[in-house]
Amino acid sequence: MTDSLSLILATTFAPFGAFVLAILLLMRQPRVAQLIVIAGGALSLAGAVSLLANGPVDPLRYLWFVSGDIQLRFGFILDGLSLMFGVAVALITLCVMVYSLGYMGHDPDKTRYFAMLALFEWAMLSFVYAVDLLQSFIFWELVGLASFFLIGFWYEKPSATAAAKKAFLMTRVGDVGLFIGVLMVLQVAGHFDIPALLAVDNGLVQQAAPATLTAITLLIFVGIVGKSAQFPLHTWLPDAMEGPTPVSALLHSATMVAAGVYLMARLHPLFMGSETTLGIILIIASITTLLAATMAMVATDIKRVLAFSSISQLGFMLLGLAAGSLFAGVFHLITHALFKALLFLCSGLFIHHFETNEMEQIGRAGGRRLRFATAGLLVGGAALAGIPPLGGFFSKEEIFAALGHDGVTLFSVVALLAAFLTAYYTFRMIFLVTRPAQIETEETHAHAEHGRAEPWSMALPVALLVVGAAIAGFWGEQIAAGLGIDMGHHTLASMAPALAVVAVGVLLAWVDFGRQGAARTGFIARVPALERLFTNGWYVDAFYDAVIVRITTLVATLMHAIEVKFIDGNFDRLGRGVLGLGSGSTRIQNGWVQFYGGWAVILVGVAAVYFSMGG
Amino acid sequence: MSLESLLLLSLVLFCLGLFAALSHRNLIAVLIGIELMMNAASLNLMAFNRFSVTDPTTGQVFVLIIIGLAAAEVAIFLSIILNLYRTHRTIDAEELTELHG
Repeated sequence: MTDSLSLILATTFAPFGAFVLAILLLMRQPRVAQLIVIAGGALSLAGAVSLLANGPVDPLRYLWFVSGDIQLRFGFILDGLSLMFGVAVALITLCVMVYSLGYMGHDPDKTRYFAMLALFEWAMLSFVYAVDLLQSFIFWELVGLASFFLIGFWYEKPSATAAAKKAFLMTRVGDVGLFIGVLMVLQVAGHFDIPALLAVDNGLVQQAAPATLTAITLLIFVGIVGKSAQFPLHTWLPDAMEGPTPVSALLHSATMVAAGVYLMARLHPLFMGSETTLGIILIIASITTLLAATMAMVATDIKRVLAFSSISQLGFMLLGLAAGSLFAGVFHLITHALFKALLFLCSGLFIHHFETNEMEQIGRAGGRRLRFATAGLLVGGAALAGIPPLGGFFSKEEIFAALGHDGVTLFSVVALLAAFLTAYYTFRMIFLVTRPAQIETEETHAHAEHGRAEPWSMALPVALLVVGAAIAGFWGEQIAAGLGIDMGHHTLASMAPALAVVAVGVLLAWVDFGRQGAARTGFIARVPALERLFTNGWYVDAFYDAVIVRITTLVATLMHAIEVKFIDGNFDRLGRGVLGLGSGSTRIQNGWVQFYGGWAVILVGVAAVYFSMGG
Repeated sequence: MSLESLLLLSLVLFCLGLFAALSHRNLIAVLIGIELMMNAASLNLMAFNRFSVTDPTTGQVFVLIIIGLAAAEVAIFLSIILNLYRTHRTIDAEELTELHG
């Protein structure tokens, strides 16, 4: 017991210690700071791995404070889910940290960057291991704060600060719902203890009336919608690309957006208690996964393609969870974390080398000459598209199985369609980068003469993640066992539709972009109206600008006017009144002795008359 | 001779002094007004002494003290006026307002 305690403390507080040291003491020694942060990350990974090796133990709880009947605890939940996801978080964060050594090598503000990475890891790990719902909420918000700092890391760029604010505000919209949900849990159950809330006998599902449970789960889902960038709060995630690429890798795979899905997995029994909530989640996740996939089909910026694919894949995970399969959602969460981190780090290699995000330009400049990055992109892309035997294939298969389980056919069709689009846009990206119409000659790119394109610090994490993305699919059994679920076995026939749509998607991408003399425009370009719709992100942002932003601005203008005219005006009038009273009363003191004397006589006379009349 | 007529006389004298003290700008005229008011007060005291007190020395002592005080006061007042005139070249009460707030 003490053993797990010291391990968990090391796991969660190593990054925190690194953050504090770096931000307080090492602002002027970036080299020391980055080493300390990486040491913290490594310690954290070692801790998480040994915790996983030790296996699940009872939750650790420590009383924080008591208020009336409410006991607030801090503690750590160490079951299969948190142990496995904790390792994924620590592993990917460490990869990103090492990669950042190369990617951010020339940035003057390295200390702040690495400190924020450490803060991010601390917040995320503490969230993953939190035993108390309020503790979860606190670290959930800290995750949001850290991502705000990292998205807006290049704060001289107005677009970066705007993106950071957008991410912060949009997730905040969801967090309001989440917080109300958490408070409702307190009202119904009287405590925040997650294991007790999930207990099969006398858990929240038994305590709460069905309508209350639906309300609670829906409110929590609102928070998940914000955090995991689901429709209609998804528009912050593509803009979050303004941050450094390693940050995107972190944000999109193991932290931030994964927090939403993790929270749903954590509270899965509660969600299973409400049919209505599950239905709504299925609908929202379906909309999201399709919407984001269509946007990825027309994006030209490699990071935006990946961002849209993250949104789409998060929708996939929620589909799996809402279809009732905890295993499918968590499995896809973990495989996705690995291959999406890989894809982002590879795209970072291209971006670092060619200094552009546009896929066409990368391709023309000779993207495929970066053999290492291309290989990583291929493996990650194939895993994302769901090509066997890579990671994404198996986890997606689980989601299809979960969706098809009760004959939820509409959602199965949606998922297949999304899988088709995923294969299409992934290979569109790969072909655009690797098979351009013509390649510029080497001389035009002085940059390419530096010999090896990537330093070891950037190559090593990518290599590690290539292996991870490639073999993650075979961990299904272990993950299922860790969650205490039996993994079903799928026949070839049940896999056939998924395999077929993926094959069609890849083929179509080949016809449109890959083959010699291809048109290099998507099939969607033949319907200009649709293409415009997709390019503009279904006009969701435009709608927000036109309606919500305008209404908010109007209200703000009105409030400003009230403030200036009414509140400030009245205070001004009060001040001027006192001032006038003062300057008026100084006029009495004019220094004329006879004036004073006259008034004295008058007042004494009045007093005399008053008292002589008998008081 | 009655108490009332004496009091009336002293009232008239007091009002004249008050009027002089409040209306004249010349500080010497103000001083004269103040002296008149003091004399009115002395007259008042002597009138009460004559008509309603058993031991007649009481009022006389009062009045003698007032006369002495008035003499001292005049000496101080006049020296202040002289000094004012030396420094300010005026003894106009309306111009001497340096001590206003």
